[in-house]
Amino acid sequence: MAEIRVENAVKTFGKVVAVDDVSLTVHDQEFVVLLGPSGCGKTTLLRAIAGLGMVDSGRVMIGDRDVTYLPPKDRNISMVFQSYAIFPHMKVYENIAFGLKMKRASKEEITQRVKAASELLHIEDFLDRYPSQLSGGQRQRVAVARAIAVRSQVLLMDEPLSNLDALLRLEMRAELKRLLAEINATTIYVTHDQIEALSMGDRIAVMKTGRILQFDSPTKVYDMPADQFVGGFIGTPPMNFLQGQVRRENGAVQVYIGDFGLKPIPEMEPLLRSYDGEVIVVGIRAENMEALSQPAEDALPVMVLVVEPLGSQNLLTIKIGDDVIKVSTHPDFTVAPDQNIWIRFPSEKIRWIDRRSGKTLIPNLEELMA
Amino acid sequence: MGRRRRRNFAPYLLILPSFIYLALFFAWPMFRSLQLAFRRESQILAVYTEIEGGDLAGRLELQTDVAVLNRERREETLPNGRTRPIYWFQIVGENSVGETVEGWVNQRYLFIESRTESETARVVGGEGAHEWTLDYVRRMFNDHNFWRALRTTLLLLVLILPLQFVLAIIMALVLQSQLKGSSILLYIYAIPLGISDLAAGLVWVSIFRQNGFLNTFLTEIGVLDSPYVFLSANNQEWMLAAIVLAEVWRATSIVMVIVVSGLQGIPRDYLEAGEIFGASLWQRLRHIILPLLKPSLQVALILRTILAFQVFAVVVAITGGRVITVLAYETYRWYDPGDSGFNNPNVAAAYAGFIMLISLVIAIFYLRTVRTQEEAARE
Amino acid sequence: MTTVEERQALPQPTRARVLDPAQRRALRQMKLRRAGTYALAIGIAIWILLPIWLIGTMAFSPSDQVYAYPKPVVPVPFSTETMQFFLEYEGIMAATQNSIVVALVTLALSTVIAVPAGYAISRYIFPGRDAFRLGVLAVRAFPIVILAVPLAVTFIQWGMYDEVYTVALMHTALTLPTTILVVSSVFASVPREFEEAARIFGCTPVQAFMRVVLPLVLPGIAAAAIFTFVMSWNEVFAATLLTIRNRTLPALILYTLNKSSIQFQYAGGFFMLVPSLVFIFFIRRYLFNMWGQITK
Repeated sequence: MAEIRVENAVKTFGKVVAVDDVSLTVHDQEFVVLLGPSGCGKTTLLRAIAGLGMVDSGRVMIGDRDVTYLPPKDRNISMVFQSYAIFPHMKVYENIAFGLKMKRASKEEITQRVKAASELLHIEDFLDRYPSQLSGGQRQRVAVARAIAVRSQVLLMDEPLSNLDALLRLEMRAELKRLLAEINATTIYVTHDQIEALSMGDRIAVMKTGRILQFDSPTKVYDMPADQFVGGFIGTPPMNFLQGQVRRENGAVQVYIGDFGLKPIPEMEPLLRSYDGEVIVVGIRAENMEALSQPAEDALPVMVLVVEPLGSQNLLTIKIGDDVIKVSTHPDFTVAPDQNIWIRFPSEKIRWIDRRSGKTLIPNLEELMA
Repeated sequence: MGRRRRRNFAPYLLILPSFIYLALFFAWPMFRSLQLAFRRESQILAVYTEIEGGDLAGRLELQTDVAVLNRERREETLPNGRTRPIYWFQIVGENSVGETVEGWVNQRYLFIESRTESETARVVGGEGAHEWTLDYVRRMFNDHNFWRALRTTLLLLVLILPLQFVLAIIMALVLQSQLKGSSILLYIYAIPLGISDLAAGLVWVSIFRQNGFLNTFLTEIGVLDSPYVFLSANNQEWMLAAIVLAEVWRATSIVMVIVVSGLQGIPRDYLEAGEIFGASLWQRLRHIILPLLKPSLQVALILRTILAFQVFAVVVAITGGRVITVLAYETYRWYDPGDSGFNNPNVAAAYAGFIMLISLVIAIFYLRTVRTQEEAARE
Repeated sequence: MTTVEERQALPQPTRARVLDPAQRRALRQMKLRRAGTYALAIGIAIWILLPIWLIGTMAFSPSDQVYAYPKPVVPVPFSTETMQFFLEYEGIMAATQNSIVVALVTLALSTVIAVPAGYAISRYIFPGRDAFRLGVLAVRAFPIVILAVPLAVTFIQWGMYDEVYTVALMHTALTLPTTILVVSSVFASVPREFEEAARIFGCTPVQAFMRVVLPLVLPGIAAAAIFTFVMSWNEVFAATLLTIRNRTLPALILYTLNKSSIQFQYAGGFFMLVPSLVFIFFIRRYLFNMWGQITK
């Protein structure tokens, strides 16, 4: 049982607040990704959990133990470093065996575990080599093997794939996912690569300036971003944002983009009502809009600026009022720049965002049902 | 490709001044030193079997009294075309090792009262004869002070180095642990870098002197009743201890600087990985820091060893140079034209050559170490 | 001592909460270890500073205190008598002046000769570069002062003996290798792109050097020059051999050591280490340039 619980963690470097009152619970054997742009505090948070940088206040629990002030070696964790930190003066075997040796495991146990770990990572042929004789990908495997050889309940990974080239990263991503599913460790994985986060994590914690903005499953984070930042950070292309005017007409709420009225789903209406007469941000993903070459009553006429054929889709850049947004279409949808097309907005895919707070409006379902 | 690269001469021009300077003031004196140590340059009179030629019969030193056996008058042509008479004398005398030398010499090398009458003469001139000799080197090795000096130099090396390395590593680790005020600490730890061995010697003399601070302290805490004479000829152990302390005090900083540079080259991740995988402080030091520090330690060891053969002023300041002597001091003493010296540059050069030889051997090790390290780094 | 958990300041639990015994022990251990590190750091600092302080107190005591026993640890009463005695001692002022002249000439010569060489090593790749660099490394490791013996003989033959500038010539040979290596490492720390950018925007190579590189390396070169000064100021062996009447300060002190009074030794010792106290402060950041590059 190794649940990781961070409570009200604060960590400052001089005047910079790197981790700002963060609380986070990672369930036993869960795979959680800390995702965010560089400088958002995700690595600092990971290091606080590892014991490499103590929190200024708050506490860190692993399992039932409060480990806030324990040194790393007493926390029963292991870690894969961004730079791998494979010791250059030790052979691969000694590197993998390092953690076990420090724990004074028996010779047989070390041999057996190193063998198992190296086989799992397919590096059993390199055990006699020095790290300088390995390729980047192989070093990465050694780093992972060293981390899993100790069989700790908690595995921490600090951007483990960021030093690999694109192809290798793709391959390792799948392999790591398989591997981590196998070893049943509670895993926290830091990355700035949203694709990695979406494809690997059970849950994703999106961070910005020392705070966790959203902590949800990948689909939820993608589909229902908690705020404008998360929506803009996740997805390629990121979520589109338009300025809309909320108007209440005949009891029904409509949001106008220019003269074109968007009709929210009924659950949203009570929330939007309070924004009557105000500007609200309309968020929608590129693939959720429907592009038509013919006019339709429920579609907004727009002009195409740029057409980017990407093989699996055509990505259109279009202008609506002052906003420029991206729409993805089927590759067969042919259009040239400066042509007019019509866009349809499915109500259930629209996210409404408060302009001042940046927060997504989420209907309180319980209240609705009541 | 067939295209020939145009040679860029700029770098050669840039290094030329230092190259010339080092040739003049490093390579040349080194060469001169060997010359001095292995070549007798004194003026010696060469005596030949025949007048104006023949084989070398032997050599006579200046001021040797000789008997004149025979004389002969010849003509000598001067540069202006005129001639003048010149006498040749057949002489016999004893050379420096007591052998009898007999043969002919030109009149200008002899002091003789009457060229035609006198039966005796004295050698007053000679040629700048160069003679390769091991005399000076032999004299150095035969001097009992040489062995004393060598023994002390090595003893100091063995006593000082381990202390210095342990202390330097501790200092470096303290500096690296990012305490508050580490900038001030670095300054304090680096101060000895700029302290001369002479000043260091004087500082420690003031501590070990009979009315010095150590006696004050020991009396104060009740270890001693009356001041103890640490630095006396009967107390060589204490003198040695004072030298060791002074050298550790003064010259540990340089090792520390090398070690800190080495530590800075160790990525922090390595140490953190060590921590994560359960290594204690000692285990990290043994399994990670020291192995990775090995290149720096090697360099420091070699440099310190070479420096140890130059230990000089500390010893003079603490011991006066007589009770405990070291190689560099012997070199100085043989050279010194003053009252306390022997005024013999040749033997001094032999000492210098000896120190250079040892240093050269160590320096070769050093270069090989640096090269292998650089090659390893390039991989 | 370099444990990472100690790199950052100790956390201050903002909210009082009950810690279990293991936590308390861990926290206490951490604090203890931190305190231990500080104690060690301060202990070493005392080991270095105390002897300087002690000789300093003697240098600034009246003469009866200098001979007194037991010794006071603070100079009461403070007096410049001893220092004055030293400075007024016959030949000391002249020797000090000689030392400063020698050190300045050494500094100038060594810098002027070393800067181009350091630049060449760090900026150009040319056949013979490695050989030259290793040569310089070897020369630095070499016991150069010992070469004062043949040099003294040569200077006598050339009629240059007992001149102050011959000591400077010797000292330049002593400091040149170190200066070359420091300067090259300082140059290496300025990215070549800076120079290239300057040239792209219209500078000649010389202009690029003067306007972009030189301002960036000046502090480093100044540090190297200061270190050169200190090395020359401190050097005893060669200075003693190369001069008789025009002695430098260390040479004179060494020469008079056996005949001199305690006052003279205390004040002289302290006087000689003053430059170190002052100059090391300014160049402490650059100390690692001198040796760091070897292992990188």
